Amino acid sequence: MTRRNFLTGTAKAIVTAIVTGVMAVAAYFMYPAGLRARAMVYCDCMDEDALPKKGVKRAEYRYKLKGNEMAHSVFIVNDERGVYALSPVCTHLGCLVNYNRLKNEFICPCHGGKYDVSGKVISGPPPAPLTRLPLKIENGRVYIGIMLPATAAA
Amino acid sequence: MGKTFDWLDKKFRIKAPHKGFLRRRLPPGLSYFYCLGGAAFTSYLILFITGSMLSLYYVPSEMEAYESVLKIQRVVHLGWLIRGVHKWSATLLIVFILCHTLRVFISRAYRAPKELNWMVGCLTLVSVFASGFTGYLLPWDQKSYWATTVGTSMASTIPMMGRHLMYLIRGGMDVGGDTLIRFYSFHVLWLPVTMAALLWAHFHMIKRQGIKGGL
Repeated sequence: MTRRNFLTGTAKAIVTAIVTGVMAVAAYFMYPAGLRARAMVYCDCMDEDALPKKGVKRAEYRYKLKGNEMAHSVFIVNDERGVYALSPVCTHLGCLVNYNRLKNEFICPCHGGKYDVSGKVISGPPPAPLTRLPLKIENGRVYIGIMLPATAAA
Repeated sequence: MGKTFDWLDKKFRIKAPHKGFLRRRLPPGLSYFYCLGGAAFTSYLILFITGSMLSLYYVPSEMEAYESVLKIQRVVHLGWLIRGVHKWSATLLIVFILCHTLRVFISRAYRAPKELNWMVGCLTLVSVFASGFTGYLLPWDQKSYWATTVGTSMASTIPMMGRHLMYLIRGGMDVGGDTLIRFYSFHVLWLPVTMAALLWAHFHMIKRQGIKGGL
């Protein structure tokens, strides 16, 4: 090994080590801090009397996050299978589906995914049925269960 | 060099035109004082990298700026380190660039045909000072607020148009949210881009004219 080869090799090794180190630190710096496991929170939604007697009803459940009042929509369905709650989040790419009363279907406005009232996919790109959310009735109020960060409160 | 570099070089042709420059004979009498410019440029690169990283978390808003700095300092992974490196590189850049200016002055390297390179260097020096001044406001704490109030007030001592110049710098009558956004924009966009262009010219002229006149 010549003196020149040795110096070139050493210089390359040092530069590679510095670049790799900086990239590792940058990736660690960018990765969000304070990620914590989410927990199931039952959020107040509506009065028990307001539940649909038959068919689909769009409702909202509310919770508090960092001092802000949050509200998200949910579909409450009552059919021969009983009363259950469906998340409006399309399983394709996360848009919010609408309920079409005439066709009795959930239709996603983004890519035309269609679900029946039980959440099953009829047509379009969605890979899975709409998510069923846990529904609880307590003291005459309807609660929807949802995974929320630890800082959230019902 | 490695295979990847050779592949890129076939497209970009960087190596051949620089061969003469990289293999040149250096003039006699060089010392470590001639590394000060390189040290300043290294500080600039470190500031560019750490600054780009800090901009991922910093919020240039009246209400959130200080909170976001606290978050960088306490919550973000290694945030204290990146911010510390940015701060100290800034201090070192000022030291290195001043020493570099002094070296050029003492070795009379500002003389023709390098007079334009001296002018470009001076503009870079002013840009570095401006970066330091605008960056000092960004933590948005008591010290930075009053330092900027005092610093911008100095502009008002210019006769006739001084007061209006101060309002122009502040973006208002007093230092406020508009000043913060303006200083942020200058600090992360206008000044770094200006310095990049100036440094390109600086280095291009060194390549063409050599260190201290003539290769």
